[in-house]
Amino acid sequence: MKINLDTKSEITWCPGCPNHMILAATKETITNFIKHKKYTQKDFAITTDIGCHAKIFDYLNLSGIYCLHGRALPTAIGMKLGNPNLKVLAFVGDGAMYSEGMAHFIHAFKYNANMTLVLHDNQSFSLTTGQPTPTSQQGYISKASPLGTFDRPFNPIKLALASNATFVARTSAKDTPHMVETLTKAINHNGFSFVEIIQDCLVFNIETNSKDNLMHKIQDNEDLKKAERLADEFDYNSKSGKIPIGVIYQSEEKSLEEKWPQLKKQYKKRINTTRRPKIQSKLIPIKKPILTKKPIPPKKSTPTKQKEHKYGKKSKEKSSKKSNT
Amino acid sequence: MKLNIIIGGAAGQGINKVSQIFSNVLSEHGYFTFNYRDYASLIRGGHNFNTLAVSNILIESHDAHADILVAMDKRSIKTHKQALKKNGILITGDQFKDLGRNINVALAGALTKILGIPLSALESEIKSQFKKPTEALEAAEKGYKTYRTSHELPKLKNHPTILAGSQAIAIGAINSRLQLYIAYPMTPATNAMHELAKDQLKNNLMVFQAENEISAASMALGASFAGTKVMTGTSGGGFDLMGETLSLQGISEIPLTVYLASRPGPGTGVPTYTAQSDLDIALRAGHGEAPRVVIAPGNPTEAIEKTSEALFLAEKFKTLSIILSDKHLAESEFSSINKPNKTPDFKIKRLIPGKNIVKKSSYETDKFGNSTESYTLTERNTDNRLKKYNDIQKYVRENFEMIKIHGKKKSRNLIVGWGSTSGAIKDAIHNLDAKFLQVIYCKPLSQQIKKEIQNADNVILVECNVTGQLGRLIREQTGIEIRNRLLKYNGRPFHTDELNRLIKSLI
Repeated sequence: MKINLDTKSEITWCPGCPNHMILAATKETITNFIKHKKYTQKDFAITTDIGCHAKIFDYLNLSGIYCLHGRALPTAIGMKLGNPNLKVLAFVGDGAMYSEGMAHFIHAFKYNANMTLVLHDNQSFSLTTGQPTPTSQQGYISKASPLGTFDRPFNPIKLALASNATFVARTSAKDTPHMVETLTKAINHNGFSFVEIIQDCLVFNIETNSKDNLMHKIQDNEDLKKAERLADEFDYNSKSGKIPIGVIYQSEEKSLEEKWPQLKKQYKKRINTTRRPKIQSKLIPIKKPILTKKPIPPKKSTPTKQKEHKYGKKSKEKSSKKSNT
Repeated sequence: MKLNIIIGGAAGQGINKVSQIFSNVLSEHGYFTFNYRDYASLIRGGHNFNTLAVSNILIESHDAHADILVAMDKRSIKTHKQALKKNGILITGDQFKDLGRNINVALAGALTKILGIPLSALESEIKSQFKKPTEALEAAEKGYKTYRTSHELPKLKNHPTILAGSQAIAIGAINSRLQLYIAYPMTPATNAMHELAKDQLKNNLMVFQAENEISAASMALGASFAGTKVMTGTSGGGFDLMGETLSLQGISEIPLTVYLASRPGPGTGVPTYTAQSDLDIALRAGHGEAPRVVIAPGNPTEAIEKTSEALFLAEKFKTLSIILSDKHLAESEFSSINKPNKTPDFKIKRLIPGKNIVKKSSYETDKFGNSTESYTLTERNTDNRLKKYNDIQKYVRENFEMIKIHGKKKSRNLIVGWGSTSGAIKDAIHNLDAKFLQVIYCKPLSQQIKKEIQNADNVILVECNVTGQLGRLIREQTGIEIRNRLLKYNGRPFHTDELNRLIKSLI
């Protein structure tokens, strides 16, 4: 099937806005999934909030709802309740999710629907001309806060870990391959995956921009204690700390679709495609059962970590070939 | 023949058990009952009471005055002494103190004897309700022996079934093969949620409790988009929170059905009592202009029919359907022999994600479903939404019952009312020269209403709110102002005897 994720809508983000790169990374990730016949284009559904980030809705040829401010997440969970076989991605902004939609954010971890939350964090309400959000740094001066923001920003990664998150990752909008890798892992995760994309805004709250030199890539982590330490490294406030990027925490727990018998029944039979996606060997190597007497021989095939890395590389190679010719 | 029994006590003493057991006995005996529940927002203590009305004909309301008072505690005697008629009978719970938990069974025994019903009727009811009935049977016999028969009720051939409004909403939804109900608890809408949750697996249904009403409505919209038959339910305060989603429904045209069970407001108001004060928000909640359907059933039979119709219309016209009820309808127990009309069955035939690429938006959209700010498209989309309202009106007029006329059809005295007040009006005009126009569809509004009002000499509006919301709606749609208004807004529904007196004074 021909993959066409483009739409005819005019892209109205500012020139140079990192949203362009997030769009490119999203397209690449989804294209890879479709190319590898894991899902079809029709299997995907997206929801977006209101804000600069949300314009991505108009630029992606995927099913979805362009929701109200702060409501992309509950609407997305609703889609999963309606059809558990949809691959749902919710694109939200820091302003919408943490201010208007905070209750939904915390509860989403509890429900653990098998979907992905992509959070664009530029630490300001940019489409409404730069008011402070819950992750804006202390002292941020905007038209709405001429005296400077008095409050310390809170740490959504810590909040997510405290809310029983099963997948928390952070990536940078300036690093497309890392975004593709992280989004791929997030979509592959069985359960609710939260990906925070650190993003600059070129027009508002520019003093928080260019944190790239603070970022360091981390190995996929399954240890909660370590995850908490990693979350503490960046406080969204000062430029002194380090910013870990990568999968900060991942664990296995039953997803919404597996918990509810009504959804489980539908979840097994795929309604729309004959191709049942092969469950790729999971990112986390399954721990050896304690009770078995015989040691399990190690599998010949290496875990898919590398495979997934290839996703990015493959398409990159192709595109580079094209450009060469 | 009509008898009223007030059963009073503290919360937790089991007054509902008495009325439940005894109304089942009465139904088996062929009598119609109506059970009004008056309770405070607490779990133990305080003072609660039920008024159980009994009749040999169909009734849907209760009187203020009682023939029998069953008092579980002293407070009940004090509170209801005034309401007891001159030759009324007082039954106290004190005399059965030593029976412990079975005190309510003994009281049901006493009532059975007083109304001249054989003990065996009560015994078979107890056997069907209790796993170990021995003690309860003894208690029933003790209660039965303590009193003498004063009203002889011969056995009748009717076989009424008892149903509360909330149960009826659930039945209507299940009849339409509802797949998903998402809600956040709020009295008096919660009982519908409980009813649906009870047998959810058997009914191929899922009942999901969201973190708040905003989420409940958003989830419902998302699920409906995904191709599921879905419904959400709440009361006034929660409905306010849903307002933005109702507006999103208007522009995205994703089918959505909302059950609104109202109670007296503003604010938290009197949460466990009744009022018809939310017609305005049902008609108008949400910004912008978009079509919707608002249906107000008057009894459980209608609630079954209208819930199915609401779900059907929402899907057919990709619109918002609101089923408007209130505490009086949702929690009172009606007995009836009327079977609901066959409801329209439907399948979801629109494009759904997974099978197609479907885009819905909170913005005005172009033909691809992407945002647009074009003035021509904005105007065209608005025109299309307006046109839908006319389509809905035409379809409903041709296919569903929008109003009902009760009472003496040729009378020149016209009572106008809606929703749960209908029961009291029907019973109150039973012996009067009056006819009753019951408005069921509040949006679209029937054009027949104007003709009926013009043909009458004397029009009286009866509602349980302070501004006469239906009256204002009729004035807006027809230009006719109804000057005679009987409005009650103390959180209690109209009593039959009270309303009968009030109407009599006006005709």
